[in-house]
Parts: sequence; C-alpha cells; structure tokens
Amino acid sequence: MYYKFSGFTQKLVGAWASDAYNPQGLRPVVSREAPPIIFATPPKFPSATPAYDYAGKNHVPELQRFFQKPDGLPVHLKRGLPDQMLYRTTMALTLGGTLYCLVALYMAAQPRNK
Amino acid sequence: MTHQMHAYHMVNPSPWPLTGALSALLITSGLMMWFHSNSIFLLVLGLITNILTMFQWWRDIIREGTFQGHHTPIVQKGLRYGMILFIISEVLFFTGFFWAFYHSSLVPTTELGGYWPPAGIKPLNPLEVPLLNTAVLLASGVSVTWAHHSILEKDRINAIQALIVTISLGLYFTLLQIMEYYESPFTIADSVYGSTFFMATGFHGFHVIIGSSFLFICLMRQLKFHFTSNHHFGFEAAAWYWHFVDVVWLFLYVSIYWWGS
Repeated sequence: MYYKFSGFTQKLVGAWASDAYNPQGLRPVVSREAPPIIFATPPKFPSATPAYDYAGKNHVPELQRFFQKPDGLPVHLKRGLPDQMLYRTTMALTLGGTLYCLVALYMAAQPRNK
Repeated sequence: MTHQMHAYHMVNPSPWPLTGALSALLITSGLMMWFHSNSIFLLVLGLITNILTMFQWWRDIIREGTFQGHHTPIVQKGLRYGMILFIISEVLFFTGFFWAFYHSSLVPTTELGGYWPPAGIKPLNPLEVPLLNTAVLLASGVSVTWAHHSILEKDRINAIQALIVTISLGLYFTLLQIMEYYESPFTIADSVYGSTFFMATGFHGFHVIIGSSFLFICLMRQLKFHFTSNHHFGFEAAAWYWHFVDVVWLFLYVSIYWWGS
C-alpha cells in the first residue's frame, strides 16, 4: 500500500504506485525524456527546457519580454498586424452598425401613413 | 523619461469602452428591431461586436497583468474590490426576481385560485432533477476549492484536473436544465407562476453559462502557466463568481422549487 499527503484533507490517504514513484512536492531534477542519443553530427537543442513539462512549455517569460518592448505601442496593438486587423474590424462593425441603427431609428420614428 | 511615483495602474488609452457601449446600443435597438420590425440583423451585429469587445478587453487585461506586470498588490486590491462590488450588484439583480416571486406567492390573488401553486399548474418535483442539479452545483463548489488549493500548492496537474471537473459539472447542470425546460409541463406564459419561475431560473442559467466560460478561460490560462501560487486573482475572481452562482441556485431551489411547490 502506498500513501500520499492529501492537500485537501491534510491527512495521509491511500495512493497508487505512480504517486510513490512521482512524489508530490518533489520535482524531478532530470528531464523525463529518454537519455540523449549520440549522433555523429549532434542536433541542435532548444535552450534549457524546464525539467517538469506537463501539456506544453512555459512561454510566459518570453511573452513578458515581448510585451514589455519599449516600442510605444498601446497594449491593444502591441502584437502588430493581427491586433490591428481585429481592432479595425471591431471598430468598423461597431461604427457601421451605429450608423445603421440611427438610420433605422429615424425611419421607425416616422409616422405610418394610414 | 518620466516615471510614475505611485503604484497604481495608468492604463493605455483603449477603444474598448467605446465599442462596448456602442455594442450595447446595437443590442438594445437590435432587440427592438427584432420584436417590431422582423429584422434580426442589428441584434446579431450587436452580439458580435459585444463578443469582440469582451475578447479584446480581457485579452488586454491579461497582457497588462501577466505580461507587463502592472498588477501590483495595490492594483490587485482594487481588482478585488471591483469584483466584490460587481457580485453584490448581481445579488441585487436577483433580489428583484426573488421579490417578485415572494410578492406573488405569499399572497396569491383570486385569479390564481387564492393558493400557490396556482390552479392548473403542475410544479416540477423538487426531489427529481432539481435535487440532482443541487448536488451537481454543490460538488462543483468542492472541485473549484480543490482547484484553488492545487494552485496554492503549485500542483499543476491537480489544478488542471480540478478545473476540468468543475467546468464539466457546470456543463452537466446546464444540459439538465435545458432538458427540464424542454420537458416542463408549464411555460413562461402560464400565469405569474410561469413568469417568476422562468425569469429567475432563466437568468440563473445564463449566469451558470457565464461562470462556466470564465472558468474555462482560467483553465486555458492555467495550461499556459499564467497563474503562480501567490498571484492568481483571475482564478479567484472566477471561483468567487462560481460560488455566487451556486448560492443563488440554493435560494432558487429552496424558494421556488421546494417551498413554491
């Protein structure tokens, strides 16, 4: 029988072997990938990957660098072209819709001739 | 270059309040055109621009907080006050519908037969699907607390699992309510009973969908490593909103489904 500490009940509770081999609170120092295969011409690896990698990599630090670039752009346009396209589409639909709305309200306010 | 001498967040000029306000105009006038002029175009346009505004506004808040670091402890405190005040305003919104229900049900008029439920109304059995719905929402309150503790303890996998469980329970509740609405023996037009029932439960269901969507965004952010163990206010706001939705349901269940049957 294996046990783990349940953060929810603050007690030891029964657990599967997988929890014993991957204890909570102990993050593996080494990467979980297989040992590196030795090539004649070694492939290029990306810069230091975090050891514990569940469902994707952590891109927050690079996004933080990206969004803090001192380029003077307001936050809603910081990404450049995709932001601009979405902004222009939204503004066009909104302003166009407002004009349509005002025309429709004007027409609706006209008296109906019997 | 000048620096600010305070810890508050001076936001970049943003177009979203304007597009949001105009989209509200389009939605309201669109409803009017739909009801009176048989045209759904303006309403659809209003809903699209509303969704675009929400997406970009909240995307910018994530950029400002998580990527640009503007959400200092003082700024976060302001966000907390804001969310609490918003939820209080929502409580007052529901208070109106509960007032209407109690006004009509405590003193049933002669047109209803002088008793509640009114003559001819066959209310839903509170011990069937409504009780299941209560269990589902209470369980989702537990799972969202589990998610919070997992985030606090840096337990990434558990946080993701707990969020998935919470969202699934929310969806299950919504599907059950849709089924109940479809199978219901009475409609919104069936006297003041139908009006109060469907206005109160209908707006509640809408809020469940909003809460589930908010939690889903939190799941996406958790997957993308946005939350840290000591700074995850977006999640806390979603959890607060979800508990509010749960409490409203408990009041609905006790008042309308149980006492009102």
